Amino acid sequence: MLANGSLDQVLILVVEDEPDMAREIAAQLTSLGYRARIAETGAAGLEAARRDRAALLIVDRMLNGIDSLPMIETLRNEGIRSPVLVVSALASVDDRIRGLKAGGDDYLIKPFAMDELAARVEALLRRSSDTSATTLQVGPLKLDLIARSASRGERTLDLLPAEFKLLEYLVRHSGQTVTRAMLLEDVWHYRFMPRTNLVDVHIGKLRRKLDLPGDPPLIRSVRRSGFILHAGE
Amino acid sequence: MRASELFGTATFRLAVFFALAVSVSTAVVFLFIYWQVATFDVKRLDAILVGEVARAVTQPEDRLKRELELRFTSDLRRLDYAALFDNTGKLQYGNVAAIPKDLRIDGAAHIVEARSLQSTDTGTEPAVFVAGRRQDGGTVLLGRSLYEVNALRRVVFEALMIGVVPAVLLALASGIIFSLRMTRRLKIIHETTLRIMRGDLQERLPAHGKMDDLNYVASAVNLMLDEIVRLLQQIKSVGDNIAHDLRSPLAAMRTKLERGLVADSSKELRAAAECALGDLDQALATVTALLRIAEIESGRRRSGFTGVDLAQVCANVFELYEPLAETKRIAFTLDAPVPLPVFGDFELLVEAIANLVDNAIKFTPKGGAVAIVAKMIGDRPAVRVTDNGPGIPAGERNHIFKRFYRSGKTRHVPGSGLGLSMVATIADLHGFDLRMEDNRPGAIFEISPS
Repeated sequence: MLANGSLDQVLILVVEDEPDMAREIAAQLTSLGYRARIAETGAAGLEAARRDRAALLIVDRMLNGIDSLPMIETLRNEGIRSPVLVVSALASVDDRIRGLKAGGDDYLIKPFAMDELAARVEALLRRSSDTSATTLQVGPLKLDLIARSASRGERTLDLLPAEFKLLEYLVRHSGQTVTRAMLLEDVWHYRFMPRTNLVDVHIGKLRRKLDLPGDPPLIRSVRRSGFILHAGE
Repeated sequence: MRASELFGTATFRLAVFFALAVSVSTAVVFLFIYWQVATFDVKRLDAILVGEVARAVTQPEDRLKRELELRFTSDLRRLDYAALFDNTGKLQYGNVAAIPKDLRIDGAAHIVEARSLQSTDTGTEPAVFVAGRRQDGGTVLLGRSLYEVNALRRVVFEALMIGVVPAVLLALASGIIFSLRMTRRLKIIHETTLRIMRGDLQERLPAHGKMDDLNYVASAVNLMLDEIVRLLQQIKSVGDNIAHDLRSPLAAMRTKLERGLVADSSKELRAAAECALGDLDQALATVTALLRIAEIESGRRRSGFTGVDLAQVCANVFELYEPLAETKRIAFTLDAPVPLPVFGDFELLVEAIANLVDNAIKFTPKGGAVAIVAKMIGDRPAVRVTDNGPGIPAGERNHIFKRFYRSGKTRHVPGSGLGLSMVATIADLHGFDLRMEDNRPGAIFEISPS
């Protein structure tokens, strides 16, 4: 877990051939407190990744007309394990699957909102390597991953399986903003966006089960981007 | 057309080949006839003469002379030779001066050059001779000029030449005529094709007249052109629609940004930018939806087809939309009692049914009812999404699956207008039928394998 003070130590390598896009991404990352470095070609990206040991790579799928997936595969073969966020104008499912197979950790389709990018970057940087835990706890909230049961303080929560999955995802990303698209992709495994408020009503329903009147709300909405589950007071 | 061009055409070469084939086959037939005529007559003559000589050598001399005399009187054309020589070789009677030197006296037929006795002509002419030895040592000589036979041969040969040459010429001429006609038609087709290529898509290849092979191909090409024109018009109208649908949010965005720029406070500017961002998102959503439709239409996703349970698809959609229906106080039900295995793409089918359910919930007023039914209807699995909302007016039912079509009644409800196009595209990819019926009130959408 990263403390706020060490954020400026985190280096993110942006491999992107369009200067405007690269500048915008870098500016956004800087405003979030990261250090950003830009490489404009796959070769330069590879070299920078070897030299700088960036915490995260944001790689455009097409670099001057050349597919960047082989570059990612090379990185992986060389033992560089930094998470890679593939950014692509190629929206087809096949392209996405190939991007993830080549060693990408997440796939974001252009055009995207900068908030979406920020949320994904945060999620990738904080990704826990420990997936073997059988219980999760955030503040008063406890999840038993084997019994698929949840409780807030002393009160057992009566959740449907889908609601449990949603809560588990929020808990795993507690303290981070998760976007509607991330929830649809990771909880429901859909990559289409039927309508924007669909995720909201699911969250609303979950909220009503989590918070009794008088309880401090656990899930907060983040303007224009998504939701955040807070560790509590 | 230049001669070299004509000779280069496939039709002309075919005609030449045809003419050659005709000539050769005619020549073979004619040669056979000629050979038959030439040999048959000579053989017949030989046989007769051999028989006569065989009889003559045994006959008494006076009787033989009488018979020879008779022979001369009936031979008006002076074609017959007949003579009797004594044992010294001296002519006793007849019209041959001497026994031809190279004629063997063996009772068989031989062709030799003979000289007539009394005739004024000096030349010789080929004749068939048969000579036989008599018991008294004399020689009987019978013969017949081949003049007649040769004349017949000449006539036959001339007749053959008169037959073959016109046949060959006729074949060549018809070849030229056909290739000219064919080349002219091909040239018209070629020129028309060039005009079409340059963009004149209303042009059509000439395909009137009787249905020969060329017209058959031409009418097939014309049908293809019709289809291309139809598709182009469709694309054009889609393009127009895209432009129109993107124009509205973009225009709104422009106004908002403009107003934001002249705003006094940064708060107003921020509000304008935020509003403009919303418009931009709407425009991008339209573009994304169009790209998705294009991707699905390209059919590449069919490679990812597996066995899919339609009932499970419906259950997933139901789970996804239940909270939404609840907040709108719509009675939302799922009736999918048994697995309905089909071959397809799970996620796309979820998307299709989700779009139908989304529409149903969007257009059904508070307190209404929406249902998903996944059942065997008849002998095939079918998914029905029903609602009791306003339904679709009869006049608009043909248009609803068109891109960007939005019912006049629902223009105020936000959406890209691409939902049903997406459903239609996904159904099409799966080879499923998508039908719409009246629920009185409301609408029923049904997807089923055809």
